[in-house]
Formats: sequence, structure tokens, C-alpha cells
Amino acid sequence: MTVSKKIVLIGHFGVGKTSLIRRFVENTFSEDYKVTIGVHISKKTITIPEGEQISLIIWDLEGQDDIKKTRPSYLLGTNGFIYVFDLSRPVTFQDLNSELSFLKENYPKIPVKVVGNKMDLVNKIYLKEHQTIFEPHVDYFVSAKTGSKVEKLFSKLAEDLI
Amino acid sequence: MLKPYLEKYHTNNFQYILVDDSGCVLEVDNPIFPIKVNDKIQDTHPFFEILNNLILIKNECFEFTCINLEFNGKPYVVDLTFRPQNNQENLLIIENLTKHYNNYQLTAQTRNESIINSQILVLKNEYLQEKETFKNNFIANFSHQLRNPITASIIFSDLLNNSDLSTEQKNYINIIQSANKDLKNRIEDILDISKIESGKLILVDKVFNLKELLNEVAIMYEYMANKKGIDFNFKIAENIPEFVEGDQYRLKQILNNLLNNAINNTTKGSITLDISLNYKRAKKVNLHFEITDTGCGINKEHLETIFNRFTNLESDVKIDRGFGLGLSIVKYLITEMDGNIKVESEIDKGSKFICNLSFKTSNYNQSQKEELLNKQLLKLEGRYNVLLVEDSELIQLTILKTLASTGLFYVNIINKGEELIPNIIDKKVDIILLSNTIEGFSAIDLAASVRNLSKEYKKTPIIVLSTQAYKEDIKRFKQNGINNVIIKPFDKKNLLEGIQKYLKKSTD
Ligand SMILES: Nc1nc2c(ncn2[C@@H]2O[C@H](COP(=O)(O)OP(=O)(O)OP(=O)(O)O)[C@@H](O)[C@H]2O)c(=O)[nH]1
Ligand SMILES: [Mg+2]
Repeated sequence: MTVSKKIVLIGHFGVGKTSLIRRFVENTFSEDYKVTIGVHISKKTITIPEGEQISLIIWDLEGQDDIKKTRPSYLLGTNGFIYVFDLSRPVTFQDLNSELSFLKENYPKIPVKVVGNKMDLVNKIYLKEHQTIFEPHVDYFVSAKTGSKVEKLFSKLAEDLI
Repeated sequence: MLKPYLEKYHTNNFQYILVDDSGCVLEVDNPIFPIKVNDKIQDTHPFFEILNNLILIKNECFEFTCINLEFNGKPYVVDLTFRPQNNQENLLIIENLTKHYNNYQLTAQTRNESIINSQILVLKNEYLQEKETFKNNFIANFSHQLRNPITASIIFSDLLNNSDLSTEQKNYINIIQSANKDLKNRIEDILDISKIESGKLILVDKVFNLKELLNEVAIMYEYMANKKGIDFNFKIAENIPEFVEGDQYRLKQILNNLLNNAINNTTKGSITLDISLNYKRAKKVNLHFEITDTGCGINKEHLETIFNRFTNLESDVKIDRGFGLGLSIVKYLITEMDGNIKVESEIDKGSKFICNLSFKTSNYNQSQKEELLNKQLLKLEGRYNVLLVEDSELIQLTILKTLASTGLFYVNIINKGEELIPNIIDKKVDIILLSNTIEGFSAIDLAASVRNLSKEYKKTPIIVLSTQAYKEDIKRFKQNGINNVIIKPFDKKNLLEGIQKYLKKSTD
């Protein structure tokens, strides 16, 4: 029997949560921005290196500029978080510290992957400039547009959940 | 009474579903969503997998709002309540709110898009501003570095010119001198542009002798025109005031620019500088300047953009060699002085630049005027001890030669900041010339170390030789115990003028 795990994507609006899921689930990308309201749920079954099948139930949440505003019911039974911010817009990562400590305090046992999305829009110098914020927190720099590191992000998280 | 209406218009948006503890559907009431008896609820949509976790927490109520579901390709947005019960009858209530939430989605869409766009705009502006600052700093630093070599080149070609040379050599020197001057002017122009763009170009208000300035300009250009075989006409109306208040350096810059262009573009005929009075009111005079040439003229399409070099500077448009950056600076200066400028021109007939400029009137009277002249006429006597602190050998030599040529100075040269104090104490120093580029020392710190000595050193004039030409730099120097600033590149005249005043002060 395949196990299923609930993964929740959170972060500011417009950072590319929906796009990352679409890249992962359907392998597509669109430049258009359609705002997510409430939550969208999709599912993808993957096989992790140990040969085990795992169903990822992916919750795509409406973007919030403050994580505390998230509806608690959406977070019931979560197995893993992906916190997404937009590398090209500093507002989306300036409060990274407090956003992540909220998760740590309220969901201490649940793994969190922190990703900077839209990697295709920035360069190395820019990453260096913001190193003090990124280095302690960020697990992956990804791009939903190019697909870079997206697959890896989800499969690593899945492995962590087993 | 209501009953028939209710029957006719009431729409029931609710669907009630009973499932057992495994999620198997036991009963359904209103078929809004295609969920049927015996379906396993978790298989109808991945959302319902959450029920696996909740179904065993009995007698609780879980509410979910704004859930996007999809059945048979059709999207719904719903609110949902789940009540697990002990008797294997777990109640699920789904309310279809698709219409309501679609409206909400539109609002959120507009809000988010406009917020993101404004953030992106701010980022773009920040980026552009950074680029602009970088450019202006770059230009300022670059021209700063060119000042020492140009100063040396100017002064040494002057010195060479005064030595015993053959006619051919004299000709070469003249070419070098004119190239030096050109180079110096271009650097000044570039620096002006960067000052203008960063808002650092500020005009000064000072009383000056207008008639004298105009005469000087006229004499110089008459000489240059005659050398080219062109006539020079100078017309100045009788009623032009002698003294006015304004920025004489910038006025000169405007006239120099326009007259230089006239000379460059004219090969035969004449150039006319005509100055008249538009009006004189309470505290203001408005003057009319016309610079007319019989040169090659400017074509029509060019006429419209001739003052707009700033915009072109950004793009790839080549800067017109005949006019350089000068006219855009002229235009800027005139606008800053509340004036205006226009040009009329005809190909092969010539051009006429017309500008109107306002100055404040000055109540300088005749006796003050004489006093000023007398002061200027005071000549230096005796020998003065100059202490020069400069680590550029070029500048050292330059100053040494210049001062030596007057026979009025003894020059002691040091090139390290730490040698300054030992060379002052118990030595006779009439004036200190201090470079602002001494390694490891700022001119301000060095000046302070002199001022902090005993009382007798408080008055020793300190003059900074500066590669920094911005107004605020000069102000900073003067606020920190420095008497005067001579800006590099300087020539003999600048140097002597810069020190002369302070020598007088120290002897009387
Ligand atoms: N260049 C680039 N654009 C991206 C990338 N990912 C997403 N976008 C764009 O960013 C915009 C927002 O993407 P979404 O995926 O809708 O963002 P979201 O986080 O789901 O936004 P909300 O639903 O409002 O919270 C869209 O226009 C995407 O095309 C990326 O990796 N690179
Ligand atoms: Mg979204």
C-alpha cells in the first residue's frame, strides 16, 4: 500500500507556489499570474530511491504576507512544509526569520524546506548581496520557469517524511 | 404565504453526506457534486484524504473554508464541515459557494497584481538610481584623477613656451597648449554634467564687475578671431550696470561656450557679441546677449535638439563634435539663472544665439569700487617661506618652478604627512600648501594637527591643493581651519591668486 503525505506550500502571494506545483505535477509553466484563493489540492505519486511508493497530497495555499494569517484548518495533519519566497522581490523574504520561527514554534516536529524561487531572474552577485538572509535558511534556489531543482525539492522532502 | 415562493426560488447549496470510518459513502441527499453511495470519498478528490486523520477524532467539528474542488473537470469553491461520530456515521456538509468566491478571487487578483507591480517599480527605480549614482561617482573620480597630470602638462608647456625656442618648437608648444586647454575644458564639462545630474551644481551669488568681465571676454575672443582672419565686433550698451550680483564664473562659461562655437564654426566674415539692457527693475536687471556669426550654420533637424544633449548622453547617439556637451550645460545654466536661450540659423549664412539673463543689481558704490581696485593692485614684497606638502612629484616640480619664477618665495617640500609638524615647529613658515592626496592623511586632519599646536600657528595660512572640486568639499575644507582651496588643475595665475591674499594678511 502506498503511504500518503500531506505537503503544504506557504509564502507571500505571487512567489510562485502554484507554479512550482504545476511544474512538479504537470511539468508545465505559465507566465500568467492567477491568484489562488483558499486552497487547491493536488496529488502526485512518486517512487523514492528505496523503491517505496509515496503519494504526495500537495496543498497550495493562498499567499499571505504574514504566515500567522493562515487559516489553521489548512494546516491540520501536515507532514511537511515548503516555504517559498520570491528571490526577485525582497519584501517576500525580509521577514524570513520570524516567518520560519512561527513554523518552528507551532509545528516543531514537521520538516520545512525553504526555497527561493525565480532563480532565473537573479544572478550570483545578487545572491551574495543577500547572503546573510539566505545562507542560514535556504535549502534550494529553484525556478518554476526553468524547472531547476524543482523535482529535487519535492523528492528530498518526500524522503525526509519516510 | 412564503411557501410557494420558497419552492420556486430557493436554491439549496448544501449537500449532506454520511460516510463510515473507512470513508465509504453511506447516504447522500442533494446531488450537487457527483459523489454517490458506495464511493470511497477519498477517491473522489485528494482533499478528502485529510478525513483519514480526522475521522477517528469523534464528536469534534472541523470546518474548512474556501476549498477549491474539481469534479469531472468542473471547478467548485466550497465551505465544508466534518463531524465524526461514534456510530460509524460521520457527517460531511458541503456548501457550494463558487459564485461568491469567484467574486472574491477577482478582488484578490486586482489587489495582488497592483501591489506586486508597485514593488517591481520601486525595485526598478532603486536599481536605476544606483546605476546613476555609480555613473556620477565614476565620472567625478575619473576627472579627479586626471587633474594632477593635466596641471603639470599645462604649467610645463607654459614654462617651456617662455624659454628659448625655435619658431618651429614654439608652434609645437602652441599646439600642445591648445590641446591642454581643450582637454581641461572637456574634463570640466564632464564634471559639470555629472554635477548637474546629481544635483550638485549650485550657483553662487556674488558681486562682480560685469563690464570688466565682458571686456575681458571680448578682448580674448577678438584676439582669437583675428588670428583666424575673422572680424570681431563688440557692442555693449551704455546703460549696462557696472556691478551686478550673480555667478560670474558661470556667466563666463556661457559666453565662452557660445563664442568658442562661433569661432570654431566660422572661417570667414565676422563674429558679433552684442549686449543690451532689456529692463531694470527694483532689484533686478535683465540683460540681452546676442552672439552672431557668419559661419557654416546649423541644419534644421539639428536645431531642435541642439540643447538636448543630456537625453542623448544616455542613448547611443554620438555627441556632435562641433558642440560637445557645452550647449547642454549652457542651457542648464541659463535655466538655473532664470533666463532663456534660443538659436536662429541658416546653412552657410551663419547662426545667432540669443539669450536673456537676469542678475540682481548691486549697490556697490564708487569708493568701494576703488578700494577693491586698490586692493587688487597691492603688490607683494619680500621673500616668503612656503611649506609644500605634496606627494606627487609632478605637482612638486610644477609649484617649485612657478613660485621660483617670481623670485618671491623660498619653497620647502615634504611628501609625507608625518613630516609636517617637525617642519613647522621653530621654523619660519609664512604659508602652507597642502595637497589633499597625501597617502594616509586627509588634508583636514593635517590642518587640524597644525591648528592644535600653540597659538602662534593658529594664524598660519593653510591652502589646500585639491583634486576635489565640489562645492561641499570646499565648504568642508573651509569649515575645518583651511583658509583657501586651489583646485587642480591650476595654472600660474590660479596659484598666485590663491596664495597672494593670504600672504598680505600675514604681513600686515
Ligand atoms: N521568471 C519566473 N517567474 C515565475 C517563476 N515562478 C512563478 N513565476 C511567475 O510568478 C507569478 C506568480 O506565480 P504563482 O505561481 O501564481 O504564485 P503564487 O505563489 O501561487 O501566488 P498566490 O497564489 O497569489 O499566492 C506568475 O506570473 C508566474 O508566471 C519562476 O521561477 N521564474
Ligand atoms: Mg497560487
